[in-house]
Amino acid sequence: MKHLAYRIALIFAIMGLSCASAFAQQVKGTVKDSAGLPVIGAAVVVEGTANGTTADLDGNFVFDKAVPADAVLVVTSIGYKTAKVPVGSGFVEVVLQEDNEMLEETVVIGYGVQKKSVVTAAISSITSEDLKSQSQTRIENLLQGMTSGVVVVSPSGAPDATSQIRVRGIGSTNGSDPLYIIDGFAVSGGLDYLNPNDIERIEVLKDAASGAVYGARAANGVILVTTKQGQKGKTKVNYDFSYGWQNPWRKPSVLNATEYAIMMNEGYVNSGKAPIYDDPYSFGEGTDWVELIFNDNAPVQKHDLNITGGNDKLTYSTSVGYLYKEGTIGGNYGRSNYDRVTVRQTVNAVLFDNTAQRNWLNKMTFNTAISYAHMNSTGISTNSEFGSPLGSALAMSPLLSVYATPEEEEQYKTMYPEGYAHIVRDASGRAYTVVDGNVYNEQTNPLASLSLPGTKYDTDKFVINGAVELNIWDALKFRSSLGIDLSFWGNHGYTKQYFLSSKSYNYNTVASETTYDKDGNATVTEKINYAESAQQEMNRSFRWQLENVISYDKTFGKHSVAAVLGQTAIRSTGSNVGANARGLMYPYDEWKISVNNTVGQQADGNRNGWGSWNSIAYSLLSYFGRVSYNYDERYMIQATMRADASSHFGPNNKWGYFPSVSAGWNAKNEEFLKDVNWLSMLKVRGSWGINGNDGIPDFKYAVYMSTGNNYTFGSGANGSETISIGAKPNGLANPDAKWEQSIQTDLGVDLGFLGNRLTLTADYYNKITSGMLMAMQVPGYAGDSAPEGNVGTMSNAGIELDFGYRDTYGDLSYSISANATYNVNRLTKLTDDATAFYGSDHKIGQLTRGIVGLPFPYFYGHKTDGIFQNEEEVAAYVNEAGKPLQPNAAPGDVRFVDIDGDGDIDDEDRTYIGKGVPDWSLGLNISLEWKGIDFSMLLQGTIGNQVFNVTRRTDLYYVNLPKTILNRWTGEGTSNTQPKFMFESANNNYRASDLWVEDASFLRARNVQLGYTIPQKWTKKVAIQRLRVYAQAENLFTITKYVGCDPEVTGGNGFSSDLGIDRGVYPQSRTFSVGVNLNF
Amino acid sequence: MKKIFYAICAFAVLMLSSCGKDFVTAVHNSSEPQSEYYINEERMFQGLVAAYDPLKWFDYFNEYDALNMVSDIMADDIYCGGSNEGDQPKLVKTHFYNVTSLEQCGAIWTICYSGINRACHVLENVDGVPGMTEEKKNLYKAEATVLKAFYYTLLWKFWGNVPYYDKNLEAPYIAPQLKADEVYENIVTRLEEAFELNVLPMKAAAGNEGRVTKAMAYMLYAEAVMYQNDQARYAKALEFMDEIITSGKYSLVSDFASIWEESGEWGTESVWEINYMSEGAARSWGNPIYSGGSVYPMLSGVPGAPEASGYKGGWGFGPVAQSAWDMYEEGDIRRDGGILNFYYEFPDLTLGETRWQYTGLFLKKYVARMNGNHGQIADADMNYGNNQRYYRYAETLLNAAELGVLTGKDRSNCLAEVRARANCSDTGTDQLSILEERHKEFVGEGKRYWDLIRTGQAATVLKAANHEWRQNDWTENKKYWPLPQSECDKDPNLVQNNY
Repeated sequence: MKHLAYRIALIFAIMGLSCASAFAQQVKGTVKDSAGLPVIGAAVVVEGTANGTTADLDGNFVFDKAVPADAVLVVTSIGYKTAKVPVGSGFVEVVLQEDNEMLEETVVIGYGVQKKSVVTAAISSITSEDLKSQSQTRIENLLQGMTSGVVVVSPSGAPDATSQIRVRGIGSTNGSDPLYIIDGFAVSGGLDYLNPNDIERIEVLKDAASGAVYGARAANGVILVTTKQGQKGKTKVNYDFSYGWQNPWRKPSVLNATEYAIMMNEGYVNSGKAPIYDDPYSFGEGTDWVELIFNDNAPVQKHDLNITGGNDKLTYSTSVGYLYKEGTIGGNYGRSNYDRVTVRQTVNAVLFDNTAQRNWLNKMTFNTAISYAHMNSTGISTNSEFGSPLGSALAMSPLLSVYATPEEEEQYKTMYPEGYAHIVRDASGRAYTVVDGNVYNEQTNPLASLSLPGTKYDTDKFVINGAVELNIWDALKFRSSLGIDLSFWGNHGYTKQYFLSSKSYNYNTVASETTYDKDGNATVTEKINYAESAQQEMNRSFRWQLENVISYDKTFGKHSVAAVLGQTAIRSTGSNVGANARGLMYPYDEWKISVNNTVGQQADGNRNGWGSWNSIAYSLLSYFGRVSYNYDERYMIQATMRADASSHFGPNNKWGYFPSVSAGWNAKNEEFLKDVNWLSMLKVRGSWGINGNDGIPDFKYAVYMSTGNNYTFGSGANGSETISIGAKPNGLANPDAKWEQSIQTDLGVDLGFLGNRLTLTADYYNKITSGMLMAMQVPGYAGDSAPEGNVGTMSNAGIELDFGYRDTYGDLSYSISANATYNVNRLTKLTDDATAFYGSDHKIGQLTRGIVGLPFPYFYGHKTDGIFQNEEEVAAYVNEAGKPLQPNAAPGDVRFVDIDGDGDIDDEDRTYIGKGVPDWSLGLNISLEWKGIDFSMLLQGTIGNQVFNVTRRTDLYYVNLPKTILNRWTGEGTSNTQPKFMFESANNNYRASDLWVEDASFLRARNVQLGYTIPQKWTKKVAIQRLRVYAQAENLFTITKYVGCDPEVTGGNGFSSDLGIDRGVYPQSRTFSVGVNLNF
Repeated sequence: MKKIFYAICAFAVLMLSSCGKDFVTAVHNSSEPQSEYYINEERMFQGLVAAYDPLKWFDYFNEYDALNMVSDIMADDIYCGGSNEGDQPKLVKTHFYNVTSLEQCGAIWTICYSGINRACHVLENVDGVPGMTEEKKNLYKAEATVLKAFYYTLLWKFWGNVPYYDKNLEAPYIAPQLKADEVYENIVTRLEEAFELNVLPMKAAAGNEGRVTKAMAYMLYAEAVMYQNDQARYAKALEFMDEIITSGKYSLVSDFASIWEESGEWGTESVWEINYMSEGAARSWGNPIYSGGSVYPMLSGVPGAPEASGYKGGWGFGPVAQSAWDMYEEGDIRRDGGILNFYYEFPDLTLGETRWQYTGLFLKKYVARMNGNHGQIADADMNYGNNQRYYRYAETLLNAAELGVLTGKDRSNCLAEVRARANCSDTGTDQLSILEERHKEFVGEGKRYWDLIRTGQAATVLKAANHEWRQNDWTENKKYWPLPQSECDKDPNLVQNNY
């Protein structure tokens, strides 16, 4: 913007100079803005003449020719109101007022940009201004709390965890991820290849009208990412560095040894047995397993180097980034670490520019961006109640020690004669304690299991974009672009021989196998069952996108017209190959471990290979068009149409058509509001449109053959018995299977006050997703499995509010922005209203499901009504017939509610007991700048979401317990929320119920940053343009009532029925870091 | 500069033109579409095999529905058994005439319609297969038609008024529900059409045992005609029985007990068996429809059998009633050959355990033998090689004898042949005597219950008063089970049976 202004001003000035006339007085002066900063390049012209000059870098100007004393100078600069100043004495001080209308922001929309004042769709922008105070490692985190309508949930604190992003609610039971378009290119398979430092701005297309230009892929919203491009001018070198220390923001609290012993004694007593620990207090604190598994002050470091520069013909930007992040669980054991190298190169070139000579075929530009990323991570099991390191740490008795004593080791020899040789030892040879498999089942000493090798994952990704743009005639432009995404990813690892417990071990055994022949003669063979194994897998995907777009954008007097017509073709293919084999030749030497170096034979099932090509083929062919018109920037209308043919669609529905319309009225530009100074923006807008979700599985429309439907012919008696291969169709067909469709209506208002220092945007939306793929209602007598059809419907409706205020006060400039989103999600139709969509399970029962009329997914279980305090209360809890509702209950047991009123408590009484999706999502961003000191803070929170806290394993009796168990019922009046502690309850106290559901609303300080820019006068001496140092805290504090590891739980990516189930989630890190931004 | 421009334009146009219709048509990389599959005889044979495939699921398809057992536990020779009354609730409900639309042996419904669907695929595709002779096409059609009729016969006998179709359904996959009589009419008409093709061999060649033969189809025809008491077709059915008898391809095996041993499979008496094999068998709990052995011998196996008996300890379902043992006259080889009276046979051995409805009598015809699953490679209990003997020549003879009585033609020689093999005396040649002979001949083979119904004896014989365990009488309403509830939910037009 500045450069453009400068150039225009320069042209203006040259034109003025060329026809100047002579006067007597020498005139000079300065041009400054209201903040006192020089307005570089401001044009100063003597009114009524062509005599003019421009302000220099310090805002000074001087007229070469004399100027009459009574003349008036007209001073203009883009972004400022024109000022008229009398010449007077000869030295003129001009203060230009900023013109907020002129400084109009633009918004990136699909296939183009639009002035914000005429945007009629619901689009949220996150600009470079918003991003500059964020030092993030992943792009999803940039969106967190920044704008309304976008809910970002971090799945865990693991360094390679991918956040879940939902735009305007959960749109489908099948997958609700938005479409990501990076510089116009739809990239597949994750965004972690993108270095957040390379990002210029992000727009979120939230409503159907803005998304419609992406048609069949836009039903769950579109995220447009614009990366940084080279800037004309002197070469600039930026180097950013930061180093941080991560710790879990909270460590879950479990019982210490004394408390544990007390509770175990209580469990025994409540089971009618004698207590087993004579003196619980003698155990003291015991082993704090939770403390032990965390990797304190896990380091995270980032280096980013960016070089940009260029001239009128060519600009470039080169950046290199490196990130290393260690996990707070297992990082010190090499088990959850992540590193990434990113390289990015952009070139923008003007091939020819004849705009001065002619208005047809007069300019052609060319730009490319090449990026490469390499990522490594190591696997660790997260959010699982079954034997994950954190899950085990929560369960380990504090009476156990980490290492076995020599006496215990002796015992192992006799207890585990075969396993003893394989017990896990640390680097110095000390044996880790082997836990009792009968007590802990598959849970093991977490430090021992962390010492085992983890699977290593690596990814290499190349993304290459190129585009040419040609001015065809006047305002008609043609742009053709090609994008290529070539990705390789894979994993490799090995399994050692180990013995962690009698339920968790892996070592070679020798088995003698007895086989009988027809006459009953036995043959005994000896066979080694190899346990050690090596495995490796590689995947490759290649995706290209070709796009041709013609655009026209012109204003005729008060009429402005913009049109876009385009075509897209996308294709992706992939392949994979993998192998595993058992029996390592060199198990002691990690460098020599590979599938090659194994003794396993295929014939024994000890060596496997697999591979396929074209394993992921996808094609999309699309045509789209958009017409926008506005009259005097007062009345705006826009219509979009896209036609998509996707390889996911069958022949009956090969093409999907996705129309949208939107309109707006910018009342501020009406005559009657022109002079209302306090109001700087008043725009109402509305939109309607249809988007699609083509993220449906392939071949749902067709019937393919499956073999393996075999039958035996022949007779055993004559030796002719053989199995004949049979083949049949793989199910019933639904040739009409097609995309899911979302119809969305949006009403919004944009308000600005006080020169847009205060802005307010509000939107109401109603989004209905229909045709969600699920099994159709087909009677079994049709003879094969029911096809999937476009059956289900989901609705999301809500309100979004964005508030912003920015101002300066003396040397202090500050801004506050806040946003709030309220969303109501309902599943409105399923295959069959009587049955439920399956959800997630746990030892205590089904936890989530979906039924018509309730949010998806919702928590499912029993409602409780306190604790029976005494025998009278138990006796009084009867049904209409006077029979006890809970015949097995005793004082201290849970009182369950008879929801269906049938006089007993059974599975039919389970009902809605909460949900993992918030009602309200909130964000607050504050930034201050004062004399080189800058401060920013981002707060984010939710209201109305719950977590199903099922970290405790009730099926294991003698495991450790969360500290909250100390509030259990121990006698009349002691607790009305926690039943008495029992290993096994006849009343089934521990079944899935609202006792496990906790309020997980939270407020979190995502990011707090304090920086100081060292004054230029000092840094300039060492050739440094700008030097900023900063300190940052992520997740500085979290306010929540939730007592578990973390109130943010996604339960994995993609399918979201696990949303809000805490099975022992890897808590997010609280990270303190320091950093430097260095510009040369 | 112009060159670059033209090059780019040309490139863009080329890329565009390459994006034809095929561009967005996905290609499956591991399977072929049905429409392109049946391109030669080998592929068509795979389709035919798939229609046979469901035959072997009856013994276990997430529930235990061996056809002989499910039929006989509704009559009086076989009890339900198992570890207790709650062991297999569907079988217990069937045994006690408490079947509901939710709890019933509904897998039979699913299996039969799977078979029908696959048979229809053969019939619909065989004509279009290049390179197949007309005779081969007709053979496949005949086999598929007979298999379809076989599956419909089961549906008709268990549920009566069932949805019927001869061509696979298309969306919205709804078929008309026919009255039981209409279902019957379709079954026999289809069979008659298959006979007209005149391609089925009277007996399967070595290696083809298990495939549909003319004799098998005739037996199915006779079964349906006799169950329907369709007098108009008695003569035809008798003609068919005569044709089997005069063909000389089948004969009775003198040692009754040997029929049931592995070496007795597909013996001269065997008209049709459902095939199971144990060598290399890989059927498993995780994949119960995999080809291999059967679980039924283990299910009906002798609980706690000591190894010395030569029997493998099993789960004690389908114990034989004492009355069944007692009905034989001394010397009838079908008693000791078909029923295992454990302490009578092994007075020195002891059974390790007893189960619900224990009688000490077991169905020797099928109970698991030691090594009955030799060579199996997956779940040992699921891979016994015992074929299910479905139609035996003895039944052909008894059918002929009975149809002779019904049509006034003398076929008493057939009855005499069966009695002579059994080593029992002549107890009359009227229909009831023939039925009593069937009773003795086919204990535990799934014939008795249907015989009682078709001859109108069920309501008098199957009274609770005559039974050691039952509380309910059999009534005419019990002839047809209620239709499965999930089917009524999905097809609201279905009219439920009054059970």
